Amino acid sequence: MAYVAVSGGGEAIANAVDLVRYYRLKGSEDSLSTDLIEKQLRLLIDKLMSEGGLYAPSYAALALKQAEGDPFEAGFLLRAFRSTLQRNHVTETIDTSGMRVIRRISSSFRDIPGGQMLGPTYDYTHRLLDFALRQEDGNSVRDFIRHFLYEGEKAESPFDETGGGEASVLPKVIDLLRDQGLMKQKSEAAEEPPYDITRQKIVFPLPRSARLQMLARGETGAMTAIAYSSMRGYGAVHPTIGELRVGYVDVFVRHPYSEEGDDSTLYIGEVLVTEVESINSFKSDPESGDIQFAMGYGLLFGQNELKGISMAILERSLEIGGGAPAQDEEFVLSHIDSVESSGFVSHLKLPHYITFSSSLDRIRQVRRNAQEKKEQVELK
Amino acid sequence: MLNSAKVSKLLIESEEPLLERFAAEIERNYQVRIVRAAEKSLVMSQARDTVSHQPFYLGEILVTECTVELNGVYGYGILMGERSEEAYRLAVVDAAFRSHAEETAGWEGPLREAELRLEERRRSERRMIDRTKVHFDTMGEYHERNR
Repeated sequence: MAYVAVSGGGEAIANAVDLVRYYRLKGSEDSLSTDLIEKQLRLLIDKLMSEGGLYAPSYAALALKQAEGDPFEAGFLLRAFRSTLQRNHVTETIDTSGMRVIRRISSSFRDIPGGQMLGPTYDYTHRLLDFALRQEDGNSVRDFIRHFLYEGEKAESPFDETGGGEASVLPKVIDLLRDQGLMKQKSEAAEEPPYDITRQKIVFPLPRSARLQMLARGETGAMTAIAYSSMRGYGAVHPTIGELRVGYVDVFVRHPYSEEGDDSTLYIGEVLVTEVESINSFKSDPESGDIQFAMGYGLLFGQNELKGISMAILERSLEIGGGAPAQDEEFVLSHIDSVESSGFVSHLKLPHYITFSSSLDRIRQVRRNAQEKKEQVELK
Repeated sequence: MLNSAKVSKLLIESEEPLLERFAAEIERNYQVRIVRAAEKSLVMSQARDTVSHQPFYLGEILVTECTVELNGVYGYGILMGERSEEAYRLAVVDAAFRSHAEETAGWEGPLREAELRLEERRRSERRMIDRTKVHFDTMGEYHERNR
C-alpha cells in the first residue's frame, strides 16, 4: 500500500454534490419553501443571523435550506455571502431605549415600571411533545391566526399606560437603578470609534468594543457552555437579570447626499434584537467611592435569550479577568466563533495524505531501527 | 413638513401603496435618470454598550440601495432586504423632495394619515403583548390572598 499526494477527484466531487442533493430531497413530494422556513423556524433563523453576523432573514432561510438545517454550514454560507458585498454605510447608533418591546422580564425586580411581559416564550410551557402539530395544516393555521387576532382586538388592554405614539416603548430598569445611585452613572467621555473585527486584525488584549462585537456573533452553544462554566465555579460571575428585553429597534443611516451641517437621516427598517442587562456583585466605584452594582451587557440580532444572557456573563467575566477559562479573553473569544471552530475541526476531514504519510514513514523508520538494535543484541 | 427620517419610515412601513403612488406620480411628470441602479449591499449596525456608553458594532444588515437624478438633484433610496423596486422608488421620492418638486406639496396629508394608521397598528400589536403581562406574587402574598 502506498501513500501519495493526490489531485483530481472532480468527477467524484460532482457526483457527491448530486448525491447530497438527492439525500436532501429523497422521500419528499415537495420542496420546503424558504418563506415557510423563515416564518416557522423563527428562532433558528434568529440564531443563525446573529452567529452569521448578517441580518437578512430570507437569506438565512435559504442558507438553512441549502445546509439541510445544519447551523454551522448555514452560518458559513452566510459569512461567505456577506464577504461578496460592499459595505457603504454604518448606521446611526441604535437606541435600544426606544425599543418596541415584545418581551420584557426582570428576575431582579418583581415590579418594574411598565410591567413584565412574557411575550412569545416557551419558558412556562410543559415540555411535552405536542402531537396535535401533526395535524396542523393551512386551514388550522388560518383559523388560529384569525381567532387570535380577533381576541386581541376585542380585549381591552388593562395595562395600556402609555397611550398613543410609540406605544411599546418602556423605561429601562438599569436607568432606574442609575437614578438611585446604585449603578455607575453614564460616562461623559468622548465617543470613540468602535473596533471592527471584520476589518481589523485580532490582537489580544482587545478593546471592549471588539469583545462585544465578537460575542454578538459568537456561537450560542459555545457561549452557553463557557458561561455555564463560570456559574458552576470555574469563574466568578453568576448574575441576576436586571432586565431582559426582546423587541424591534429602528435603524437609520445618514443621508449620503445631505449637505454639510445637515444631519438628515433615512430609516432603513427595524431589526429584532435581544438585550440583556445583568446585575452582578457590587464594587466600589473608583471615581465616586460609592458602592455600586456592576453590570453585564448583552445585545444581539434576533430573539436568542440564552445567548444574550451568556454574552452578559462572559463580557463581565472578561472584564474581571482571572485564571478560569471563562475569564481568559483569548480562550473565550478564540473559541466561540462558529465558522472558526467548525472550520478548524472540519478541516480534519480533508485529505491529509502527505501529513499522514510522513508520520507513517517515521513510525516505520523507528520500528526498523528498533528491530536492527534487537538483532544486534541477539547476535552478541 | 416631515423630515427625511420620518418620511422614509412611513413609506417603508405603510401598508398602503404610498411609495408606489408617489414614485409613479413623479415618473409621469419628469425624466428620472438612474445614477446607480438598485443593488444589494451591507450596512454595519452600531449600538451603544450600556456599561461603557461607547458604541460597538452589532453586525451587518443586508440592504438594497439606489441613486437617481431628478431636475439635476440626486435622490437616494435604501431599505433592508433584497427589494430593488422599493429602493428605486424611495430614491425617486427622495429626489422629488430634495429638488422641491411641486407634487410633494400634496404628499404631507397622505403621509400624516399613514402615520396615524401606523401608530394604531403599533397600539394593536402592543395590546397583544400586554395580554402576556404578568404580576408575580411572592409565596407569602399568595397565601395571604388565598387565606
